[in-house]
Amino acid sequence: MNVKTNNNLKCTVALAALEHVDDPEIGLNVVDLGLIYEVNFDETEKKITCIMTLTTEFCPMGESISENARNAVQQVFPEYLIDLNLTFDPSWNPEMISEEGRKFLGR
Amino acid sequence: MIITDSIKTTSYKVVLPFYIYAAFAFLLSAILLLTSSSAFTDHYFQPHILAITHLMALGWGTMIILGASHQLVPVLIEGKLYSNALAYTSFILAGIGIPLLVYGFYVFNMHNPAKWGGRFILLSIIAYLINLGVSMSRSKKENIHALFVFTSVLWLFLTGALGLALVYNFTYNMFPHDSLHYLPLHVHAGVIGWFLMLIIGVGSRLIPMFLISKYTNTKLLKWIFVLINGALISYIMIFYFIKITEVILLPWLMLFTGIALFMYYCYSAFKHRIRKQVDEPMKVSLLAVMLIMIPLVLLLIAIVSAAIFSQEDIALSLSYGFLIFFGWITAIILGMTFKTLPFIVWNKVYHKRSGIGKTPNPKDLFSNTVFKLMSVAYIAGLLLFVIGSLMIHLLLIQCGAVLILAAASLYVFNVLKVVTHKPQQ
Repeated sequence: MNVKTNNNLKCTVALAALEHVDDPEIGLNVVDLGLIYEVNFDETEKKITCIMTLTTEFCPMGESISENARNAVQQVFPEYLIDLNLTFDPSWNPEMISEEGRKFLGR
Repeated sequence: MIITDSIKTTSYKVVLPFYIYAAFAFLLSAILLLTSSSAFTDHYFQPHILAITHLMALGWGTMIILGASHQLVPVLIEGKLYSNALAYTSFILAGIGIPLLVYGFYVFNMHNPAKWGGRFILLSIIAYLINLGVSMSRSKKENIHALFVFTSVLWLFLTGALGLALVYNFTYNMFPHDSLHYLPLHVHAGVIGWFLMLIIGVGSRLIPMFLISKYTNTKLLKWIFVLINGALISYIMIFYFIKITEVILLPWLMLFTGIALFMYYCYSAFKHRIRKQVDEPMKVSLLAVMLIMIPLVLLLIAIVSAAIFSQEDIALSLSYGFLIFFGWITAIILGMTFKTLPFIVWNKVYHKRSGIGKTPNPKDLFSNTVFKLMSVAYIAGLLLFVIGSLMIHLLLIQCGAVLILAAASLYVFNVLKVVTHKPQQ
């Protein structure tokens, strides 16, 4: 797991919340799946910018997964505005799955 | 690059009618299979068998594939579906045309409504072809999967156009020979050009995706594309211009090699998968990939037997056709339905509740026990029916038909369970 951030402490809290957001098809959370690329905090504007991807572009479950991720971060940081962006550069590949995720999938 | 519109997928309202229509077409086909069992001890070119074949090929196979592809084409081409209106048009036209055509065959009246049925179906294919073509032209990326899908729809158009011409040929003598003479072209353009090409195009993308496999091999897929299209084109040339039965072994060999390479592709994806546990629908889908080989072996026996005895083995041809429609195509649909439909419905029901409270898993929307029972009834029914039709044994055929009807009923039960799912509090 290699998530870029400008605030390690708060990022840990955000990622802990995102660990409750699963890809419904795979059953693994978006953090261990490697879908979260960046979580940055703007303290002056009280804004969190989250950059994530999906396992495939135009994924039929994409809207639900990203909405779920936004709600999860909002619940732990209610005073912040959540700006969630999707990117496919770089596109996701199975190498991005964390060690924990691999254990889960190989059980 | 930040993208914001890549999460908009095709509306469930477009896709669900295709699934529901197909489920009932499968059930009706299974009922007709049982009530017309005695027809399967005779020649295949007769009203009830033609009606069942077209209901299976169009009402079941084509309708569900069109439905699923409206949802999956954006994933394949990495671009949005061009028009929901064209998708609805395609559904309505096919939805009206199929029962008209099937009724025409069942009572063997090749005037109206069979002709209107054929016209509606052809217009439905044109609507889908336009929708797919424009969607692909607007997509920023080119890929081999999309090429398979687009080529398959071109073959579907050819199959539909020839099919309609054959319906006319019953009353107007459009061709120098009777319609039975042209049947192999119509059947193989549909089965190999439409179903096989499309299933390989979609399967080569979805199977590694569902298995979370690192395996990808575009070069191999290009070879498969060339071999299968080459087999079909050379078959048409040989059958209609060279007319030497033995030479048909050449396209058979190309087809066999293409399918064997696709099986190798699926095996490699399976071998390199990260997701070790394979769920039931995926197991049935992988079984379906292997099932392609059985009709292919029967086809080889039929070619060799025709070359030696200079006449067609009717029981073999019947079993060959049955294994394609009720075997391979049905198996892949039975599996893939429950890899796609629960997710479409889950998205519809729980989309707005994402992240707010606990939601069930999409896999919980259907009964896995019913799915397993369906799979057992289906495999047993398929085996009994094929053995019965090869041995020309009516009781075995009837027992097989009863089990297939049971499988179809369980399938419809599970589909209705999914589509009528209400949000849990």
